[in-house]
Amino acid sequence: MTERKPLFEFKNVHVKVDETEVVNGVSLKIYPGETHAIMGPNGSGKSSLANALMGNPSYTITKGEVYLDGENMLEMEPDKRSLAGLFLAFQYPLPIPGVTVANFLRSAVKARRAKDDDMSDFRKTLKAEMDGLSIDHPFAARYLNDGFSGGEKKRIEILQLAMLKPKMALLDETDSGLDIDALKIVAQGINRFHSDKNGILLITHYQRMLNYVKPDFVHVMMRGKFVKEGGPGLAMELEEKGYEWVEQETAQKVEV
Amino acid sequence: MSVEQLKDKSETDYNIEELAEELTNGPDWLTDQRRNSQKVFNDTPVPRRGLHLWRYTDPYQFLFNREKMTETEVSANHASVEKTAVSQFKENNTSCLAIDLSGREIKISGAENFQKDGLVVSSLSRAVTSHPELVEKYLYQLVGNKTGKFEAMNGALWHDGVFIYLPDGKQLEKPLHILHDAGRENSSSFPRVLIVVGKNSELTVIDEYSGGSTDSEKGISYSNGVVEIFGEQDSRTRYVFLQRQASAIKSYYTYRSQIERGASMLTIALSFGGALTKQNFGITLNGPGAESTIYGLLFGTDRQHFDNHTIHQHSAGQTRSDIKFKVVLRDKSVSAYTGLIRIEHDAKTCEAYQENRNLLLNKGTRAETIPELEILNEDVSCSHGATIGPIDPDMVFYLTSRGLSKSEAVRTIVSGFVADILKLLPDDLKQRISGFVEQRLENI
Repeated sequence: MTERKPLFEFKNVHVKVDETEVVNGVSLKIYPGETHAIMGPNGSGKSSLANALMGNPSYTITKGEVYLDGENMLEMEPDKRSLAGLFLAFQYPLPIPGVTVANFLRSAVKARRAKDDDMSDFRKTLKAEMDGLSIDHPFAARYLNDGFSGGEKKRIEILQLAMLKPKMALLDETDSGLDIDALKIVAQGINRFHSDKNGILLITHYQRMLNYVKPDFVHVMMRGKFVKEGGPGLAMELEEKGYEWVEQETAQKVEV
Repeated sequence: MSVEQLKDKSETDYNIEELAEELTNGPDWLTDQRRNSQKVFNDTPVPRRGLHLWRYTDPYQFLFNREKMTETEVSANHASVEKTAVSQFKENNTSCLAIDLSGREIKISGAENFQKDGLVVSSLSRAVTSHPELVEKYLYQLVGNKTGKFEAMNGALWHDGVFIYLPDGKQLEKPLHILHDAGRENSSSFPRVLIVVGKNSELTVIDEYSGGSTDSEKGISYSNGVVEIFGEQDSRTRYVFLQRQASAIKSYYTYRSQIERGASMLTIALSFGGALTKQNFGITLNGPGAESTIYGLLFGTDRQHFDNHTIHQHSAGQTRSDIKFKVVLRDKSVSAYTGLIRIEHDAKTCEAYQENRNLLLNKGTRAETIPELEILNEDVSCSHGATIGPIDPDMVFYLTSRGLSKSEAVRTIVSGFVADILKLLPDDLKQRISGFVEQRLENI
């Protein structure tokens, strides 16, 4: 039997923003087909970790290693990481005035294909994926995130996920700002994308999303570190007892 | 030599008498206007640096040394410009083409299609005889002898220009195109355009400025132009000003428009060319219900220098004006923008908006923005805003995180920045302008 290799792996990652260390040494292995969730209170470093993994220049990885499918992500600019199969659904997607959803997605899809590749299937695929996420077709002609509601922005992020089909998806607070109907639609979109070949890392404050996208593992992050790990049951426990419970528990551990 | 003597010397250097002497073949009223302009030019001192509107640009740059003006190569170059323009005109969705060859010769194609409608597209020199009462009524009325030294220079020295007249109640669906070709090195030209849009009429004009010296070593060229547009009651005018001149020309342009009750005016000012360009776009809202919108787009590269003014003059109440002036700069280019909104004491319940946005693509570019509000009554709704800065790095990160290279991300964001202006243009022009933008984003 051959040894199973992780799809995505980061080791002892430290992240600095403006000279402040916001992530202090976290490690994780995600194997093909797995869904992991990072949960934690606000300011625990979850979003900073996601941004740093994707290569946001405002976040510096001062120490650690990041690999996707054996490729060293830290040697790559964000565009190369994306083409290698990494994806980040943003917590607050920025408006890009004057650039339509369709044109933007066309450029992004095109970047993945050979130069002279036929793009005639693009429109059809786009429409099908929009239908799957209950996004009206005229949205394709609107400027990306410009004047979109919070829920619309999140759906468009998942539309990008569906169109770009990455190997590894980091979903940063994709559930925030969604009402229950929108949450279900977005979760269905994520589940349609998910296969035994790709991986998902959900970053969330609340357990709510995990009712619809079932994680195999849950990691609790506090003050820039993973402080507790467990199965899907951990999310339920957190929902019940709150983050203070983990805080007390880890404090006790330190005392021992 | 004393300072006083120096000053005298410089003033006589720019004496335009000899040039103006050639231009006395019109009717008496025109000769009087020219002589008056000449006098105003001579009597008006060169504006002092630091004075209003001259803080960022040296006025002496627009005064050429007459001895160096040879103008020998003008005609050879014009022939090819004319040939290309006429063949393009046939393919384009244009109703009529007027080619202005350095203001020395005006050639019109396609006007015959519209003669039955009473539309006049003509050289100014012909119109002076064919439609004397119209030309006399309107010419020099918006940009006259009191406007300033450089406007007076044009008033004295224009050879020939373009005259467009659309009578009352006519709609011209396809745009009219004017193509000005400035002379090559060591030449000067004084383009002049007069447009009158009759009551309840509708007209689109594309006014394109091209040509000029391509090599500053061989010598630069100068252009000093004036445009006057009258929008009569309930008329609808769209005017596209396109400056895409060569790299070694210095240009000074003054555009004035006056619109009456219920009339609307859309001005789109697109600036890409020239070494040094000063442009002044002014619109007077002269009757209730008049509406004016100015969209500006300027893209500077290399060491280009642009200095723009806009004026929205609300002389009547219940009028509305809106300005969006967008600037993109790269390399070592420079832009200054001064936007004046003036609302008179009796012009109540006006709306006036002004926005100037500057995108700096690299360090070493410089943009200035000076909003000016002169609002003489309180019953108005008015706002202005300005931004100057580089592209938001988070926007670049967002696009690169989807696989676009950094330069592709920048090109995408800039194309988006200019999109709202491009979408107002007729299709064939939109493609050309988007081509100019792409060209200027090469190797970014």
